[in-house]
Amino acid sequence: MKMEGFDEKGMVAENAPQQELPKMAQEGIHAGFPSPATDYMTQAIDLNKELVKHPAATFYGRVVGDSMIDAGVEEGDILVIDKSLEAQDGDMAVCFVDGEFTLKHLRFHEGGLTLVPANERYPSIEIGEGSDFMMWGVVTYVIKRIR
Amino acid sequence: MFALVDCNNFFVSCERVFRPDLEGKAVVVLSNNDGCVVSRSNESKAMGIKMGVPFYQVKHFVDEGKLHAFSSNYALYGDLSSRVMSLLADAVPKIEIYSIDEAFLHLDGIDPETVPQLCADLVAKIRKWVGVPVSIGVAPTKTLAKIASHFAKKYKGYKGVCMMDTDAKRLKALELTPIDEVWGIGRRLAPKMLEKNVRTALDFVQRPCEWVASNFNINTVRTWEELRGRVCHEEEREERRKSICTSRSFADMIEDERELVLRVSDFAAMCAQKLREEGSAAYDVTTFMYTNRFRDDLAQYFPSVTIRLDVAANSAQEIVGAALKAFRTIFRQGYKYKKAGVIVSNIIASDAIQASIFDFDDELRQKHDRLSKVMDAVNSAAEASGSASGRSMLRLATQRPGHYADGIRSDFRSRLYSTSLDDIIEIH
Repeated sequence: MKMEGFDEKGMVAENAPQQELPKMAQEGIHAGFPSPATDYMTQAIDLNKELVKHPAATFYGRVVGDSMIDAGVEEGDILVIDKSLEAQDGDMAVCFVDGEFTLKHLRFHEGGLTLVPANERYPSIEIGEGSDFMMWGVVTYVIKRIR
Repeated sequence: MFALVDCNNFFVSCERVFRPDLEGKAVVVLSNNDGCVVSRSNESKAMGIKMGVPFYQVKHFVDEGKLHAFSSNYALYGDLSSRVMSLLADAVPKIEIYSIDEAFLHLDGIDPETVPQLCADLVAKIRKWVGVPVSIGVAPTKTLAKIASHFAKKYKGYKGVCMMDTDAKRLKALELTPIDEVWGIGRRLAPKMLEKNVRTALDFVQRPCEWVASNFNINTVRTWEELRGRVCHEEEREERRKSICTSRSFADMIEDERELVLRVSDFAAMCAQKLREEGSAAYDVTTFMYTNRFRDDLAQYFPSVTIRLDVAANSAQEIVGAALKAFRTIFRQGYKYKKAGVIVSNIIASDAIQASIFDFDDELRQKHDRLSKVMDAVNSAAEASGSASGRSMLRLATQRPGHYADGIRSDFRSRLYSTSLDDIIEIH
């Protein structure tokens, strides 16, 4: 197959008139012709798809207070919480301790687990056996309103 | 084989997802208008609080700090329900959503050896991902699967999954099941059974078929057959099913969710129109989708979900609503769909429509009947006195979708944790 402005391989011919170049070619992407990429060109970015990997397990929470301020998490921020993820050392997680939800970094060690705030004015919380504690979900994104 | 997945004390469990401090405590959820108890935690059951009891009779427990009561929060329960259903739809090829907290999984075509692990994984996954506990009963028929799920729920040793996969287990379970707990018998037929010395499900299946047929109707015979392990419920529905299917293959494969929503809505609206044309209404609405099975190079997906309506319907609003609910349960990004369709089935004549919401509980049902009589009386009195609103002075909340919040009591409603950004949990 040969079309005007394209050579036998579907590449843009050297003598093709500039104004007739398809957009893809102008941007230097050397795809075959017809380009399989055109199938995807109408899909706008969908933040739901990007921020929510497991819709059945994703919940949101709002930050109150400044216990994670040094990690850049401020009052009013919205947290994307994925309950499906296995908690790992260093994760920022929503935990339920002493009757309220609290946001902390998880530090696993041989004796158990420490919940570490990102603000020196707050104490770490040691989780031992028999503690009234629940790891509720792992934070995957923090959404901030700027204006 | 069928599996019945049943969410344990569902409304209470939904509240506990966002109130982990209430684990292990006595909790109840109240009906519309805070009228009576419709969901109970195991702890409140142990306190002797019965299903359907008017709230004022147990309110003193709340005042004494022994019981937590919530008004119903259907937005929350509906959202968590669809999360559970979508995890089920991911796990097996065909599910039938039976109510907000129950679904049948069709296990035909799945290697029986793998079923116990599949079910155990589902129990753990739903608990971790959504936060609600479920019980699963697996058995050769739906009626037996119901019984198996009771055992899964009742005995901790099952860890949420009861497999009724041998005849010995079936007979043992029937022996331990009081006749009034059998699906399809219930409290309505139980007195007659007891009169004839049938106390357990085992007593019942040991009677000859002729005895059942001469004393009860055909539905009870089907229940008897199902308890003996012969699938009947499905066949019965297939026979009666005059189903209506509207589906199309697409000229181009469709990947876009919005586009599919439009197509599915059209198919559902066409089904509803056909129902109205022939003066009938349907209980079941199924949405299915196919990818192109001739394209080996593309990911394949053939999901199907059935929604069982509480009341048979033929309005576009209800049929489309159910079809889209089914669609949202099964739709997955990243597949190219070649065909989709909507099936309405379990069809009855529309003049035979009756509310079955309260079927599970005769007491509630009688209350409902009394309510209808009161409404009719008030409405005809209003009509007689020449009131402007006339016949429709009193209506059921469900007769005006979207407006029923006016004037309804919900003093103890929890927040819309998962459906309103203003109501999400606060994290310190």
